[in-house]
Amino acid sequence: MVKARKVSQILFLLFFVFLFLQARYPYEEVGVSSDIGLRFSPLIPLFDFIDTWVLSWRFWPALVILLFTPFFGRFFCGWICPLGTTLDITDKIVKSPSNKTAGKWQKWRYLKYALLIAFILLALFGINAWGYFDPLALFNRMLTIIFYPLFTLIGENTLLRLSEISILETPAYFLYDSFKEWIMPENQAFYQQVFWIGLLVVFVLGMEKVTRRFWCRHLCPAGALLGFLSQFRFYERIVGPACPVCNQCQTECKMNAIPADDVGKTDKTECIECFNCAEVCPEKISAITYQWRWKPYHSAVDYNRRQFLATSAASLAVVGLLNIGLQNKDNKDRAIRPPGALPEEQFQERCIRCMECVRICASNGGCLQPDHIRNDLLDLWLPVAVMRGGYCEYNCNLCGQVCPTEAILPLPLEEKKKLPMGLAHFDKNICIPYDRNEDCIVCEEHCPLPDKAIKFNVKDVLLADGTTRKVKYPYVIKELCIGCGICEDKCPLVGKPGIFVNTKNQRRMRKSDLV
Amino acid sequence: MKRRKFLKAAAIGSAGVTLLPRIISKYPSLYAQNNPPQAVWVENGEPLDLLNTALEELGGLENFVSKGDVVVVKPNIGWDRRPELAANTNPQLVGELVRKCYEAGAKTVKVFDRTCNNSRRCYRNSKIEEAAKKAGAEVSQIRKNKFKELPINGKVIKEWPIYEDYLEADKVINVPIAKHHSMATVTLGLKNLMGVMGGNRGSLHNNFALKIVDIDRKILPTLTIIDAYRILTANGPQGGNPDHVKLTKTLIASSCTVSADYLALQLFGHSLDDVEYIKVAADEGLAKYDLNNLNVKRVHLG
Repeated sequence: MVKARKVSQILFLLFFVFLFLQARYPYEEVGVSSDIGLRFSPLIPLFDFIDTWVLSWRFWPALVILLFTPFFGRFFCGWICPLGTTLDITDKIVKSPSNKTAGKWQKWRYLKYALLIAFILLALFGINAWGYFDPLALFNRMLTIIFYPLFTLIGENTLLRLSEISILETPAYFLYDSFKEWIMPENQAFYQQVFWIGLLVVFVLGMEKVTRRFWCRHLCPAGALLGFLSQFRFYERIVGPACPVCNQCQTECKMNAIPADDVGKTDKTECIECFNCAEVCPEKISAITYQWRWKPYHSAVDYNRRQFLATSAASLAVVGLLNIGLQNKDNKDRAIRPPGALPEEQFQERCIRCMECVRICASNGGCLQPDHIRNDLLDLWLPVAVMRGGYCEYNCNLCGQVCPTEAILPLPLEEKKKLPMGLAHFDKNICIPYDRNEDCIVCEEHCPLPDKAIKFNVKDVLLADGTTRKVKYPYVIKELCIGCGICEDKCPLVGKPGIFVNTKNQRRMRKSDLV
Repeated sequence: MKRRKFLKAAAIGSAGVTLLPRIISKYPSLYAQNNPPQAVWVENGEPLDLLNTALEELGGLENFVSKGDVVVVKPNIGWDRRPELAANTNPQLVGELVRKCYEAGAKTVKVFDRTCNNSRRCYRNSKIEEAAKKAGAEVSQIRKNKFKELPINGKVIKEWPIYEDYLEADKVINVPIAKHHSMATVTLGLKNLMGVMGGNRGSLHNNFALKIVDIDRKILPTLTIIDAYRILTANGPQGGNPDHVKLTKTLIASSCTVSADYLALQLFGHSLDDVEYIKVAADEGLAKYDLNNLNVKRVHLG
């Protein structure tokens, strides 16, 4: 069983990483929606339901998992979840302590239920905080912002360095080219928020040093939901009479799901069915078996009424605090969301900050970045278009196609090409023609619209030496500009650009707008 | 005897002199091989016919490419546009040219361009990658560490990063597409060479004529073949509007980039005075031939 579980874990991990890698241009040809991995998250259907009051078949992978959980328990956590597998691998590296020392953290495991309840309460108020904690969104965020760039930077730069040594030039370039062709073709994006997301990753992985599966035991709201559903699990761990109560299974349990005072029982709400207990049971004894039983015993969820009341009170306080907000209006005009994004409030509500759009954008124009706390706390890690780092590629609509929750709607390409995500403005104080009476119009040259949204006037200018010169002075036509930002990205000025895009004229879509 | 011998020789000689042009005119290919035109203008044909005719008129690609050469074919792949929108060089033309290079004995043919849009999108949607690979070319993405500072020591540019593969190639065939260009008026052979330049190319845009001439002087190609099968007449260099694309079914080839560019101005109805950077290029001595007395072979395919 352990072997089967390990194979499943590795296969699913590879599957999720494969889907992640497939989220890039050219996307259409793979034939698999790469966001299907994210739609495995057991939390998604629940919170989608709270948002829309309709059960969406879009999330069928998660629905299948939820359907089986009351019978089989938290098999998702033990066999499928790629974050769980990553933690198991980390645990091998950092050597997590056994439950002898880690047992004292047991009292904190109610936190995950508290978080789940809090997220549900907040969701009822239209606040999406669960996305930050969704294990699959977290995994994808880790890959996009931390691991992938790290891997590229190390891989690419090492190979390029090696290529400078003359005898290694050919093999190094061969490897580099294959690497760019098959594994990570996009130009390396540099992300903002790397520090904070990095810190989160260090925390989630680093806590493995404290207990095994620290995240899954104490914090994961998906684990809490699955645990809640597993209370009457039919597939049970049976401890035979040969058991000498050596407590080996108890101390080695990944989830500390075996009560120290009664090793014959299992905390069904915590057990993730890794089957390690049978493995560590001394070979001569082998007292542990697993059986399907029609009259299962009940394990209560480790969460009491007092904790529930405290959670509710805290959630209400959070709702209040979030509503106070920061209201920094100066920042608001640069909150350029991807084309096809829902109206801001709904967008915040549906976006799970999984970074899938950011990831696929990197292989195109590369403008999407995780946002910072711009105008209120929940702006954190929403996708935001930062045009100075990239721009929205005119012939690309991939961000909408990979959004697991349709916070960004899947616009047909022709629609997307017409949808304004912002409006370009000249900063005439520094724009070269206005500032120095010299030609430039790189912005006009790059404007992708068939009828250019940047046009120019040719004027004669009297120069200091008495001669005149014809100079082209560009301007923006609001009705044509879609705010793709290529003008801002390509502006040859170093640092602050002479043309920039803000949210003026930005049009948000509703699902009903899609035909 | 001496006089007789002289007279005989003189008679034969003069007969030869008078008959030679006739003989030569009877065998035009022989004549062409000895005195190829300085530039060729071929019109009214499909891309492949245009190219084959032009190369024939120039005495074959063997005149430019030797056995064992590493050849760079430099098309314009700058934009994420399909071929019909005339923002990138015709893919069929590029493919055929690569094939011809191998026929002429080239060891390797490399095709690349530093694009303006996302390079993978451009390579793919221009269909150039596919066509060139099919013909056996090495099509590669620009590698950021392959730009080398080239001493320019021109009037305004002291040095500029140029792509290593381009500098190291034995022969270079520049294959621009003829397009309108809002800043430069038109973009042809001279401007197509910007695709091998690194650095902040946008900063070349002011005082453009002097800057481009400075750099181009150091990197002039072996042969320039201007693709004018479809030309972009407005909103260049990006285009995107099919109404601005004109089917001109023309190809211009010359070993002198300035001469080829100069000829291509006719397609747009421009004179040399309309296009500052080409005029500056001519004034600064970048042209191999006298633009006023160009020996142009014009072929109208039937």
